[in-house]
Amino acid sequence: MNGLRTERRPRLQPDPSSPAARSEQAVGTRGHKIATLPDRGQSTLQTRISTRALNLLLFAALLLAIVIATALGAVRLPVSEVVRTLLHPTRATEAAEIIFGLRLPRVIAAALVGAALSATGVLFQGLFRNPLADPFVLGTSGGAALGGAVGIFLIPTLSFAGFSATAVLAFCGSVLTMILVWYLARASGRFAMETLLLAGFAIGTMLNAATVVFELREEASNSGLRVLAAWLHGQLGIPTWSQIALISPLVAISVVLALPVAGRLNTLALGEEYAAQLGVSVGRVRMATVILGSLLTAAAVSLGGLIGFVGLLVPHFLRILIGPNHVRLLPAAALGGATFLILADTAARTAFAPTEIPVGVFTAFLGGPAFLYLLNHRSRESRQ
Amino acid sequence: MIASTMLEFRNVSFSRGPRLLLDRLSFGIEAQEMVALVGPNGVGKTTMLKLASRLLPPTSGEILLEGKPLAAWSRRELPRAIALVPQELEIPFSFRVEEIVAQGRVPYQPLFGASTPVDRKAVENALEAVDITGLRHRVYSELSGGERQRVKIAIGLAQQPKVMLLDEPTQHLDIGRQIELIALLGQLNARGITIIAAVHDLNLVAENFSSVILLTPEPSWMAGSADEVLRPDLLERAFSVRQSALGRYFFTPASQWHGASLVGD
Repeated sequence: MNGLRTERRPRLQPDPSSPAARSEQAVGTRGHKIATLPDRGQSTLQTRISTRALNLLLFAALLLAIVIATALGAVRLPVSEVVRTLLHPTRATEAAEIIFGLRLPRVIAAALVGAALSATGVLFQGLFRNPLADPFVLGTSGGAALGGAVGIFLIPTLSFAGFSATAVLAFCGSVLTMILVWYLARASGRFAMETLLLAGFAIGTMLNAATVVFELREEASNSGLRVLAAWLHGQLGIPTWSQIALISPLVAISVVLALPVAGRLNTLALGEEYAAQLGVSVGRVRMATVILGSLLTAAAVSLGGLIGFVGLLVPHFLRILIGPNHVRLLPAAALGGATFLILADTAARTAFAPTEIPVGVFTAFLGGPAFLYLLNHRSRESRQ
Repeated sequence: MIASTMLEFRNVSFSRGPRLLLDRLSFGIEAQEMVALVGPNGVGKTTMLKLASRLLPPTSGEILLEGKPLAAWSRRELPRAIALVPQELEIPFSFRVEEIVAQGRVPYQPLFGASTPVDRKAVENALEAVDITGLRHRVYSELSGGERQRVKIAIGLAQQPKVMLLDEPTQHLDIGRQIELIALLGQLNARGITIIAAVHDLNLVAENFSSVILLTPEPSWMAGSADEVLRPDLLERAFSVRQSALGRYFFTPASQWHGASLVGD
């Protein structure tokens, strides 16, 4: 049993005739000089745009989108009028009433939701090392909506530190869903894609079931049901300015706080164990990602409900342009997501005017095929 | 404590569940040694490397790096002294070689810090040392097995460690790339990095490594010079294969194989 041990020597002794000297000799005399590896031409991704240029471009696009979206609607306002009114907000004109009372709040809501969902997509994709991890697909949007629904119907009068129970419960719903998805997906050792997707499906189904229960309760208020129906379809409403004043800083601060986390997500791309070996506190990065992502998701859901695939489409497209570095991707995704959802919502409310289709329906038409493409692409990859 | 002992295992045991995988490993590895870790599949080579890089805690015993227990090293200090090059590295998204190798600088960077000229220089040197500066803009997931091995070693070099642990660096490589890779390890060793590599090919081990640690399934172990450890009788026990069969694959040192030990067996 322990025969080998009697043979052992307590300490490996460097043999002056062999160690480094011998290996060097081996290299020299046998001519195993390492050949220079040929550069097989540069990949098409060589043409990645500089980040600063892209961010400026995205910012300009965002401003342009805000102006265009504000001009379009049942009453079409000339762009010059919109710009003049936005620059001189104190003038009391009919245009100002439409702009500040109806259009601008909705445009800002679209921007906040788009920014929050895209940034969350970047964070969750980095954490799960999977380009399909979008808050809608993972079910955290559904979890937030379910939490919010519980708040609306069961404890509508409760508030917590100035936040209504709805907002707090939406956040809790998102965090709980994320933790659930995490442990379900981790059970198989590595993140199984099926588990991630099925968890999202299960949460979505639970939300629908809960809605039916709430509908059947006689005491359910009509306004509550309307909010829930809007959430389910991903219908952006017209938020109050106080709602905007609360949610804008929440989204902005979460994105800024997520920047250092995004740097660590780059290391996490090497795998959790490798990141740990490089001195990254993986547990803390995971916790920060889940909390910030859930805050952003809850913010997005409280304004627009279940708007799917934004967190998947925008980061995917931007990765093609500027590469996968999360630190660069995060701000670009926030800007690009805001612009994308403003344009999507404008299209959704003007395309079949006077009928508005929910923006969530619109993004599903765009995002569904993109999701299926990525799914197919990835399962092919893993089969190789 | 002898100053030149780089890595020391003191009665280190490791159990996975009820199964004892590593039994009281005790040896010291001198600075600048080139050590091969040899043994059959599943014997605990990867586990031993993970213990040495603190990814796993030993069930009992103690591991010291430069005379200081691993537990006493700070989270960011340890990866600057010891680098583990894992067996497999899969990277999602289209990260480029340069971006991947730069992750080796993470132990040197504060949470909010950007990369400094020192970091960029270290990445540059790492790319040069493994001769992949031409691959810097390539996407990692599109590289061949041999190219990936080099990228993984470059990450380790960017950490500027004193000790480099490599888990089967020659796996999946053709014989030419294997020889190149072992030669590369020899070069790194000559530059002063202590190398500990799990390697399956005993011929490569016998020719290129000064010392060998052999793990056997009982579990038991043996550490010493290549000539001492790569003995037919020990290998027969370790790999549960008859010496005559083994001798057909393991050619060096030829004189020993076809000499006394086999004949007298």
